[in-house]
Amino acid sequence: MSEPAETPTEKLAHQLLQKAAPSRTVYEDLIIVPVFAIFVALVLGGLVMLATNVSIDTIGRSYIALLTGSVGSLGAISETLTAATPLVLAGLGVAMGFRAGFFNIGAEGQVLMGGMAAVIVGFSFGGLPIYIHLPMALLAGVLVGGLYAGIAGWLRAATGAHEVISTIMLNLISFRLVDYLLKVPFIQKAGRSDPISNAVLDSATLPRLLDWVDPNMRVHAGVFLMLFMVWFCYWLLFKTTIGFEFRASGENPDAARFAGMRSGLIVVLVMALAGALAGLAGANQVLGVLGRASPGFSAGIGFNAISVALLGRSHPVGVLIAGLLFGALEAGGRQMQVDAGVSLDLIGIVQSLIIAFIAAPLLVRAVFPWGFRGKAASRKE
Amino acid sequence: MDIELRGITKRFGEVVANSGVNLSIRAGEVLGLLGENGAGKSTMMNVLSGLYRPDEGEILIDGKPVQFNGPGDGIRAGIGMVHQHFMLVPVFTVAENVVLGVEPTGPLDSLDLKTARAQVREINETYGLEVDPDALIENLPVGIQQRVEIIKVLFRSADVLIFDEPTAVLTPQEVTDFFKIVRALREAGKALVFITHKLHEILEIADRINVLRAGQIVGECLPGEKTDLELAEMMVGRPVSLEVEKKPYEPGEVLLDVKDLTILREDDSLAVDDVSFSVRRHEVVGIAGVQGNGQSALVEALAGVHRIAGGTIAFEGKDITRASARARHQMGIAHIPEDRLKNGVVANFSIAENMVLNSYYDDRYSRGVMMDWNAVNERAAEYSAAFDVRTPSIFETVNHLSGGNQQKMVVAREMSRDTKLLIAAHPTRGLDVGSIEYIHSRLMDARDEGNAVLIVSSELDEVIALSDRILVMFKGKIVAQFGAGGRPADKNDIGLAMAGAAL
Amino acid sequence: MDFKRIAKPALLAGAMVLGSAVSAFAFTACQVTDTGGIDDNGFNQTAWKGVTDAEAKFGVEGRFLESQAETDYAANINSLLASGDCGVIITVGFLMGDATKAAAEANPDQKFSIVDYAYDPTIPNVIGQVFATDQAAFLAGYLAAGMTKSGTVGTFGGINIPPVTVFMDGFAWGVDYYNKQKGTNVTVLGWDPAAKEGLFTNNFDSLDDGRTFAQNLYDEGADIVLPVAGPVGLGSAALADELGTDKLMIVGVDADQYLTNPEKNHVYLTSILKNMDATVMQVIDDAMNDHFMGGLTVGTLANNGVGLAPYHDMDSMVPADLKSEIETIKQQIIDGTITVGM
Repeated sequence: MSEPAETPTEKLAHQLLQKAAPSRTVYEDLIIVPVFAIFVALVLGGLVMLATNVSIDTIGRSYIALLTGSVGSLGAISETLTAATPLVLAGLGVAMGFRAGFFNIGAEGQVLMGGMAAVIVGFSFGGLPIYIHLPMALLAGVLVGGLYAGIAGWLRAATGAHEVISTIMLNLISFRLVDYLLKVPFIQKAGRSDPISNAVLDSATLPRLLDWVDPNMRVHAGVFLMLFMVWFCYWLLFKTTIGFEFRASGENPDAARFAGMRSGLIVVLVMALAGALAGLAGANQVLGVLGRASPGFSAGIGFNAISVALLGRSHPVGVLIAGLLFGALEAGGRQMQVDAGVSLDLIGIVQSLIIAFIAAPLLVRAVFPWGFRGKAASRKE
Repeated sequence: MDIELRGITKRFGEVVANSGVNLSIRAGEVLGLLGENGAGKSTMMNVLSGLYRPDEGEILIDGKPVQFNGPGDGIRAGIGMVHQHFMLVPVFTVAENVVLGVEPTGPLDSLDLKTARAQVREINETYGLEVDPDALIENLPVGIQQRVEIIKVLFRSADVLIFDEPTAVLTPQEVTDFFKIVRALREAGKALVFITHKLHEILEIADRINVLRAGQIVGECLPGEKTDLELAEMMVGRPVSLEVEKKPYEPGEVLLDVKDLTILREDDSLAVDDVSFSVRRHEVVGIAGVQGNGQSALVEALAGVHRIAGGTIAFEGKDITRASARARHQMGIAHIPEDRLKNGVVANFSIAENMVLNSYYDDRYSRGVMMDWNAVNERAAEYSAAFDVRTPSIFETVNHLSGGNQQKMVVAREMSRDTKLLIAAHPTRGLDVGSIEYIHSRLMDARDEGNAVLIVSSELDEVIALSDRILVMFKGKIVAQFGAGGRPADKNDIGLAMAGAAL
Repeated sequence: MDFKRIAKPALLAGAMVLGSAVSAFAFTACQVTDTGGIDDNGFNQTAWKGVTDAEAKFGVEGRFLESQAETDYAANINSLLASGDCGVIITVGFLMGDATKAAAEANPDQKFSIVDYAYDPTIPNVIGQVFATDQAAFLAGYLAAGMTKSGTVGTFGGINIPPVTVFMDGFAWGVDYYNKQKGTNVTVLGWDPAAKEGLFTNNFDSLDDGRTFAQNLYDEGADIVLPVAGPVGLGSAALADELGTDKLMIVGVDADQYLTNPEKNHVYLTSILKNMDATVMQVIDDAMNDHFMGGLTVGTLANNGVGLAPYHDMDSMVPADLKSEIETIKQQIIDGTITVGM
């Protein structure tokens, strides 16, 4: 112990700080596998269409439409971004939950509650300037979404009630609660007997970004919110002590507890954060796209967000990419209907195939054994 | 049945796990395979059982070359493996577990458990196993569960039995019984392979010893030819000391004072029953006992991660009975948990992240809510180097480390700061000689620097070697005390106390 | 913002050139369905029939986009706008009112038509197609009151919006008229025309709801049920099929559901026709031949925009007296002797 071991130990310590170069499999997983996955899915989707008597010509046109409708023009990109934004926001919320080991199935309800809060603030408080009114409406969505999900977090921490059950139940409650709220005279649009809210005022509307090019381009300032939140979640997860606690609790809750992390606080915090992001997604929809709330305005965003989070491997950047893919499939799928007249159900099958294959890299590797050099082989060189 | 391995090489990516290994296994003989963790013992046996395919080399059974393409091929050729971690269904009976996968069937494909039970009894009698075919696995002690694994292999008519670290989970008495079974199998003409890193066991049971280091056979000998020290040197590749060097016992003031402590398990049964003891500075107190007698709950309660039903814990004179795990950590209580993978590390985190798992909030590693990763990485590299954690980089995830290096990482985390009390549960379980030697010397250093050290271990030799005082726990109570001027720490006496005998 | 002024006409011109180059037909009629889908055996399908009829008759090309959720409305309209070849865009359903209005105002050169929505004030490039469905429903209510054995009939709607409740109003008034004429006391469950409240599934696509709601009305004694909720009513028809028509009969809506739902056609007493196919085809004709004028078309009994379907299998069960009374009432409504309403 007393020998002059300073230099060798320090030298070793220095060596240990070297990072290994990313292996070939990382590159394969991130780029080659998704490309092959899309290829396989398109071939299979084509076979399904053939089996339902769609002509080869139409299949070809529909795939071209899928591409042009998602990224083929400024308008297409605008639609892709518009569809992707709420999915990424809610997907981030679900992903943060996954990271901390919680299965938040309640994004749909949180989207609804956050959206309702944003609408109510958005049509009230007339006369405020946009730089006050819009942030207020967004914040209302964030807060209410966070509080709503926080209920599930609190139930878990205080009583041990499993969050899967409690968030599903909160979803069901939110569906009916929105139906009810939309009939409340102060919220319901004047002169209508169906459940529909007042319109959001201009001062609380997320400004459209490209309407000076073409008034039909719907992409709006929510895109910036989305990008900011991707960065924020990345920062929170990987650069802060709270993120460290989230990740440790998610990977190994026992070890986190033994290390003195406060599991009760973490569950409430992470659920509130997840709900806040989903609430923001809801606010984004009503303030940026719909301009009002009606029953079911969440349109399954909260459920798709679960797929987005899983496909994005619960990494903020992955969620962004997965959300953009979902958005592109939605916009492109619409174009498939317009250009090729393919039925909505078939489009749904093609979309699902693409997502399923990307989510199953091992399956893709199995289908194309020669396409990948694999772990063992690639490292010999 | 004789088996010959010739020039077996197995690679995982860049890692060469086995390189040109030659090995012969003969009927009616116990081959002892000695090697450190990560030396390639398990890989070789997985090659032999058909789980892995070798990149080079061949396997000959009774002189004829064979090729295994899957785990089924090994068992069909008569090679059976008894794994370190049992593969049993806890809610099934012994007979059901034995026939799982090869169920004998009666008319209309119905499960014929009667035949199964009879066959289990027959195997029982032949080898003196004494296992009730109708007992539920979850009600059986670990030693008996291991016998069920042996019956499973014999039921599939294996002539070659491979035991991977079979004694790691057994009490001293169970080890003795296990050796009897091994000898009975040898008498019956079975070929046996006994994989371990425990020197005295291999010297006791093996007929022939092969030593494996870094994927290669570095020596072959008969048990009488070498001493345990020589074998250890062969295995580790450098001179080692098997004795713990210990300075004279000069205890300081009482640091930890436990009074009337009572702890309940999750099912409200008594885990620790009205226990009182104290640990002083400059003192190592060892708690001996067969696993499941309340030691785990006691350690967890002291570390602040297990609820306390009654009694008090005082540290430096302050009552910490209700203090949180973090508060205790900050007071200078370090805890090396019993199950490192479950409780000690986050396996998918890097070494650097694990190194600060319980101190990330400290000023050294964070500013406000922001982590200071540069500081974390530098400290982690420093500690990894100082505590001999062998890894290419601190950014490597912990699940890529061998068990010994994982444990050294945990020890590094817990001991590389100002500690006053060190609680170590099974600090060397599953580790190889080199790592054990290292961790023992670190624990002694901690004691000599003025720490109070509390050690829980089921390895009686280890408890005796390290401790100044030994407490024996049985059914949640401290039933005997040895050492430090009291009753001398005799291995037999302690063993008896562990089994519940009144002294 | 000079670029803004230059870019817009340029882009529009580009789209027009592209559009005319791509399309093989002289005229393309585009339709956006509501969430029930194109094959709902009723509302959307009838409107689409107008387009297919125009395809057959005028040689135009028809094209449709299905909406899965309310969030799709604006996106679907935009997709059709972006394709650039639509001579007219027909949106089907009251709920698309806001989205259609926004699109029409942003694209004043594009011709639009919307089923079931009347803008006030009207928009120059939109024709609203509305229907005096209560007139036909009045006849159905009278018929149902005359046919019920239990003395109770029922109705439920999709969403509480005028194009739905107008059916329920007329139905209830028809029953009332029968009661007044005959001194009977047939009751209507599921809708109170005075309070404007009743039973609603709050969707236009759940067949399960259609079954449950009809079951509830049946349990309360109704032996004739009028579901006004697009394909939701197919669930009610399935229930009637299982129970048997001696226990429960269904009054169809929008199209003659005896024809559009052939598997269960025997359960329909009749259907309240809303001949959107006729008005849609008329709109396409106008748009093709530059007769297009923004405003309103109203379908009535007089112009056959609405009507009562034949009784088909039930024909023998409906008493001849009742048949002739209904014919008389129909004439009285057309000539104004009877005013349908409160």
